[in-house]
Amino acid sequence: MIMVSVAFINPLSDDGKQIVREMGSLEGVSDINEELIDAVIQTKSQEISDDDVVPQTYFDFALRRIEWYIKKKNDKKFNYKKYTFLLNDNILKFDVIAFYLLCQAIAIKFGPNSRESRVMVESQGELIENRLGELSKADRKDLVTLMLNSLISYSSIKWTFFEDLLSSRKLNLQDLILDNGEIILDKEEFVERFSDRIEHRDPGKMFDLMIGDRIKELILIRMIMQNTENYMQTVHEKSGREIEPNPVLLELADKVSDVLSASAQSYGYGGSFASDTKASPLNPKAFPPCVKKVLEGMKSGGRNDAIILFLTPFISYARLYPSVFSENISKRVSDVDPNLAALQNEILPMIFGAADRCNPPLFEDQPQEKVNINAKMGFGMHETLELKDEGETIWYTPMSCEKVKIHLPSLCKPDADCKKIGNPLTYYNRKKRMVKKEESQNESPNES
Amino acid sequence: MIKIPDLKPASREERRQYYREEWDVKNIPDFIKKSIDKREFGFDHFGKGPNDRYKVFRNTDYLKRFLKAKTPFAAYCSVAFYEKPRRRDGWLKSELVFDVDAKDIPIRTCGCDSVCEICLNEAREIVCGLLDTLKGDLGLKDIHVVYSGRGYHLRVQDEDVTKLDSDVRSQVVKYLVGADVPQNEYGSEGTTYNLEHFTIPFGYPQVFTERVKYAILHLTKDSKLDNVNEKLIKDLIKHREHLENNEWGMFKNQIGPIRYKKVLKGIASLNMSLVDAKVSIDLKRILRLPSSLHSIVSMKCTEVKDIENFDPFRDAVPKFVYERDD
Repeated sequence: MIMVSVAFINPLSDDGKQIVREMGSLEGVSDINEELIDAVIQTKSQEISDDDVVPQTYFDFALRRIEWYIKKKNDKKFNYKKYTFLLNDNILKFDVIAFYLLCQAIAIKFGPNSRESRVMVESQGELIENRLGELSKADRKDLVTLMLNSLISYSSIKWTFFEDLLSSRKLNLQDLILDNGEIILDKEEFVERFSDRIEHRDPGKMFDLMIGDRIKELILIRMIMQNTENYMQTVHEKSGREIEPNPVLLELADKVSDVLSASAQSYGYGGSFASDTKASPLNPKAFPPCVKKVLEGMKSGGRNDAIILFLTPFISYARLYPSVFSENISKRVSDVDPNLAALQNEILPMIFGAADRCNPPLFEDQPQEKVNINAKMGFGMHETLELKDEGETIWYTPMSCEKVKIHLPSLCKPDADCKKIGNPLTYYNRKKRMVKKEESQNESPNES
Repeated sequence: MIKIPDLKPASREERRQYYREEWDVKNIPDFIKKSIDKREFGFDHFGKGPNDRYKVFRNTDYLKRFLKAKTPFAAYCSVAFYEKPRRRDGWLKSELVFDVDAKDIPIRTCGCDSVCEICLNEAREIVCGLLDTLKGDLGLKDIHVVYSGRGYHLRVQDEDVTKLDSDVRSQVVKYLVGADVPQNEYGSEGTTYNLEHFTIPFGYPQVFTERVKYAILHLTKDSKLDNVNEKLIKDLIKHREHLENNEWGMFKNQIGPIRYKKVLKGIASLNMSLVDAKVSIDLKRILRLPSSLHSIVSMKCTEVKDIENFDPFRDAVPKFVYERDD
């Protein structure tokens, strides 16, 4: 008999839905709840230094969930004992309700592709992992098996079954052990299929090391994360058809956004400090290796893609809207460069310079590609850049590292700073901050 | 035996001869014939790229008439199936494709400028490796190999994969080519164990091992790997006979663990160019039509039934090449 409710791991399970049904309405979610306070206070090893730590309402609880994740991820001095209650299954009811409140609030206000949604999904994954970590080995194994059985038909799962998880990169094909299209999760199956290939090692031990319960847990967690994302998508779609969203949910959504903004100020959540990602003159010292390579001029294949699809969006966003990914708001060039002065005097010369340094120079044999540069910045297929044409095409956002590897594999020569980033623009924002810091340190002796 | 210098561009007259006398509708593979009305066709009439697009043929008779009348420089058809192919509208599915171009493979022993017997054979060897993984690991069965004229197309028709989006396709490409160095630390009950990729004879580590082996066995002293100097390339070549016998431990010892790590990273990065990933993730790509003429090299784009024994210089040369005077 497993001691923990399935809903504590998967709020979207039938048990979780039952808890929501029993709650009935949103009434009272922002009222002080003594039952909740008791459950939190009575959590073992919970550190309660002041009342602020104890969530008093469903609302507070929901925000603590998000706060826990942000701090755990970014704060080196994170005190996990202030949040031990999140791992205590006595808070089950409050946790499930908080989960639904958060999903609905975020989906309605910000939509499924927002930074808030991403944090919600990631925090759910992290919570599951930590909650499983609190269980005994046997309980953990039984619970994972039980839950996986309810989510998928267990014998012989094809890799294509996880299409959604692979598409959103929650699951990496390389992490799965595949044979003849099937994902191997069972020890007997593994031994039967691979033992004749394995030399000098015990196949059973090899299974424990390479697959064991690790892959099952990974799949379970990622499936729940994906289902959370899908749930928010559904809520978002439904909300578009409804007249007025519940103000309580909108208020919660705003508070979640405040938590994230505050964390961006303190930790630079999402890899960039809000204050340093304002539009400012370009600093080529902070360009990532791939951009530097294109600026030198492409000597072989991929010349057009490198200048038009890769460099143009990068340079224009780096100069005009470097916080595009953290703000997640679509803008036009003229929103940030009203008379197009930076575009004409700084951005285009840099792009044209790189095009001229290609071998052969890009515009020499393909002058029509100039039009494509204008198009990628949102000014339609026209030879000249004019405000009246803006909006005919969209301003392309910079390619992610993943896309660079696919479209222009020869460009990706990562340096040490590339390790933690997924987009060249994020690299630039981080590096710009570091360069600025170094420069101010070098200058300070003269100032004193 | 036809030699590369014989493979100069086909003249207008030769194209006409090819389509009117040699080309036969029977040589279009069934996997295209049976879905002909769902695909978009594209043509290059003047050797300047396929700019005559959005063409649709209700059946092979119409296509036959078109080819014999127009004798195009190049003919293409979409990997995608549409409800309305004339407008590329109502996307239904796309074949999963991999394009191995002999002139673009990252390590070539020939050093030629374009393609030759040697690099075409190396492209064929790479295709054989990819096929093993597609079948053995990914369990795909309905795979067609097409000689494109300067390399190979692998065209997968299994229903399971034809609906996949670009992101999943990009994961498949990375798995297939060995684009990442596999992890080598595995934990069990609080203890961490080190398992090198070559000690794991299954899953992705095995795929990666195969690709690394291929790369090292084909290195030349002029080969370039990221962060790998000439001395290390020389040492890899010197000690690679160990890999022919799969003596990976001995090989790694000879190279040294730090240098070995560098080599793995360099090869993983290079592997992304084994196939043209842009082609694989493009759901609306047009690919050269099997049976059509690759006019630049005067070779037939042709379906390959037995890749192990396929020789393009025997099996894909049109008759007019043999009849050339010079």
